[in-house]
Amino acid sequence: MPDASVADMLDPAVIVPVLVALLVVVLTAVILKFVFGGRSSRNAVLLVGLCDSGKTTLFGQLTERKSVKTHTSIKKNQGTYNLQEGKKGSLQLVDLPGHERLRLLNVDEHKTAAKAIVYLLDSSTFQRDLRDIAEFLYILLVDAALAKAPFLIVCNKQDMTLAKSEKVVKGMLEKEINMLRVTRQAALEGTDGSSGNNNTFLGRKDKDFEFTQLQQQVAFVECSCLEGKLNITGVEDWINNIG
Amino acid sequence: MLDLFTIFSKGGIVLWYFQGVNQVLTEPVNALIKTVILQERGSVSSFQHGSLTLEYKLDNEFELIFVVAYQKILQLSYIDKFIDDVRREFRDKYAQDLRDGNVMRDFDFTEEFQRLLKKAEASAKNQAKQPRQMRTFEESQKSQKSVASLKVDKKKEKEKENVGKKKGKAPPEPAPPAAVINGGTVNTGGGGGGEGQDTIQRNREEFFKKMTGKGSKKNIGTSPKPEKEKEKKKGKAPTKWAHGGSSKDAKILDFSGDKESNGTMAGEEDLGDTEVRNEFVGDLYEEEEEEEDDDEEEIQQKDSKKSSGFGVFNMFKGLVGQKTVTAEAMAPVLDKMKDHLIGKNVAADIADQLCTSVATKLEGRVLGTFSGVTSTIRQAIRDSLVQILTPKRRIDILRDVMEAKSQNRPYTITFCGVNGVGKSTNLAKICFWLVENGFRVLIAACDTFRAGAVEQLRTHARRMAALHPPEHHSGVKMVQLYEKGYGKDAAGIAMEAINFAREQRIDVVLVDTAGRMQDNEPLMRALSKLIKVNQPELVLFVGEALVGNDSVDQLTKFNQALADFSSMENPRLIDGILLTKFDTIDDKVGAAISMTYTTGQPVVFVGTGQTYTDLKALNVQAVVNALLK
Repeated sequence: MPDASVADMLDPAVIVPVLVALLVVVLTAVILKFVFGGRSSRNAVLLVGLCDSGKTTLFGQLTERKSVKTHTSIKKNQGTYNLQEGKKGSLQLVDLPGHERLRLLNVDEHKTAAKAIVYLLDSSTFQRDLRDIAEFLYILLVDAALAKAPFLIVCNKQDMTLAKSEKVVKGMLEKEINMLRVTRQAALEGTDGSSGNNNTFLGRKDKDFEFTQLQQQVAFVECSCLEGKLNITGVEDWINNIG
Repeated sequence: MLDLFTIFSKGGIVLWYFQGVNQVLTEPVNALIKTVILQERGSVSSFQHGSLTLEYKLDNEFELIFVVAYQKILQLSYIDKFIDDVRREFRDKYAQDLRDGNVMRDFDFTEEFQRLLKKAEASAKNQAKQPRQMRTFEESQKSQKSVASLKVDKKKEKEKENVGKKKGKAPPEPAPPAAVINGGTVNTGGGGGGEGQDTIQRNREEFFKKMTGKGSKKNIGTSPKPEKEKEKKKGKAPTKWAHGGSSKDAKILDFSGDKESNGTMAGEEDLGDTEVRNEFVGDLYEEEEEEEDDDEEEIQQKDSKKSSGFGVFNMFKGLVGQKTVTAEAMAPVLDKMKDHLIGKNVAADIADQLCTSVATKLEGRVLGTFSGVTSTIRQAIRDSLVQILTPKRRIDILRDVMEAKSQNRPYTITFCGVNGVGKSTNLAKICFWLVENGFRVLIAACDTFRAGAVEQLRTHARRMAALHPPEHHSGVKMVQLYEKGYGKDAAGIAMEAINFAREQRIDVVLVDTAGRMQDNEPLMRALSKLIKVNQPELVLFVGEALVGNDSVDQLTKFNQALADFSSMENPRLIDGILLTKFDTIDDKVGAAISMTYTTGQPVVFVGTGQTYTDLKALNVQAVVNALLK
């Protein structure tokens, strides 16, 4: 008879253990989520940029305080950066190859673990490579996995005489991305139907593009890794703030 | 004598370097990396840049690259072995640091390097000093004709055991006089009636020949000859021409071997001498073989004992830890992958080169736990395919058109290819896409040969003008056709069209050319003239996805023709590929790989049908997935 079975179920001797078991399960799930879920999944700072922009050299300076001689990288370099200014802990620093054929593959591999992006560019050849620099930056800004990651755009090689300052770089990049977002949206779709543009339009449609319109925080800083004219304080301060 | 020797990690950090000259040499090394390693031309181990020759070797266990640079005019033969020696010493000295990945410490290697360099140079000098000794008659091939047929190859021993033994018995009889007499007497004594007659006849002949001495050698020469001829008739080996062929023939055509290891000559001579000696001691020859067999068996047993000694732990060792990838382990997997790729319509040559380059990249690498050889190779092939298909420069036609517009010049695209691949159809599709994005287009009908070519383009232009009439675009015509009928010079029409576009402030000029076979020299010359005179921004090679091995031939010959007939220092070559008829192949997408590998240029557009909207961009991941399915 249904009444009897319901009465059996509502018997305290049965309910209490069941409730306790449920509580334990829920608590464990919460704790696990807390420990493994949010914090430690993103702790890598990615060093990206075009070929010859100085990523591996900067990597050497940040991780080991050494001035290393470098060639074109074909594989990534991984190291730890110890936070300074009283902060404890360290961040994973990943230096990704900048060569056109390798860069997207490597970024795709690491973007889910990325906490922040450091984008290097060569200030002395900036004018000539403007379109390539802007396109790579655009691809990173549009990527869904990096929608919340803060960006630092480092104008490297400031020791060269023809190096452009960060203001000039910022202005030119904004103008270029203004045009790029239109052409990339009009680009052909892929053979399997996917759109390369992730169906986003950067910034506001009615106004000219500015970095302040973006979801992510974008900061600009000047830097030089040449021995004798070393100046990486801007980069270090920013990374310390992130960590 | 060396300009540069560097050791750097695959991540780009230089561990140690030696520089023989004062100039900065990072540029040639970077060019080497970008051209050879990243373009998957791993089978090529030497590279020329300016006045330097660069040779390199990969160390996949510790992820290092060793590069040597020296002047091109010097032809140093000791470099290969030298790099190996340096590599071994460096690894032995710094094994612990390399294993830890500690690449930024100071490496001091100068003394060892100088020592090895002196040793290598000294050995090269010694070899150069040794004059080539003239072979004596006994050592030459001619005197060995009798012995050559005796030579029993150990590998084929089992097959030819019976045959070999018979051969071995027949010719040696005449040579040693003592044995002949014994043989002869035994035969004549022991032989029966019918059989005896033949043998008596033969032995008499041999007896007489033996008396004449040299004649016996000739006799020996004649009897194995028909056998040799038979062998020759069995297999007709293809001739290896000196000035043709592919990269695979390089090893066979390389006649510059060291004098000590001078191909098979020394080997044959040595073997010949021992064979001659052995036949005088007939029985002992066979015994020796048996002994060697026993030795081999013993060694094999010892090995198997060793491996089975650790028993249980051996099984776990196979699963976990320190396995290195060896060439023998990789060979069957690579062959299978190669066949798979060829089955997906990748050109056979390309598949072969790809597999060789993957083998070079993986040899000696330490496998991680729980990863087998097959999965590592699969991943490596996937990475190299993605690398080949990923464009090495930015592709954004619309942005480039905007750039040209801001400089008040028209952006010219030229379409070239063989007959019937879809140039005119895809030209119309690209025109439609550009007009949709607000650019004014001029179509130049430079196909003055094929009947109906001009009419075809006129129909397309009319259709698009109907879709985008001037009223919708503030009174300007979006699509126009520039044609001068049939039979005229294509290069001239193209030049006039571009001038017209400049005057009329038209943004893009699309130049349609006639289809031509890559072997047709006058037509290739005409194409080269068109491109040289007009200097288009983009030279697109139109290739259909259905093409097989011919794609490699087409592209090489087109590029060759554009380079040869151009008479300029930096000739304009093919800048991009348009892959058409992509909807007709299901997943046999190998043509994309063949074409991009041959030229190094990216696939800019993909045509997937006959309507205006069937124009797509290549999705690299999807193509690689389809290839490796």
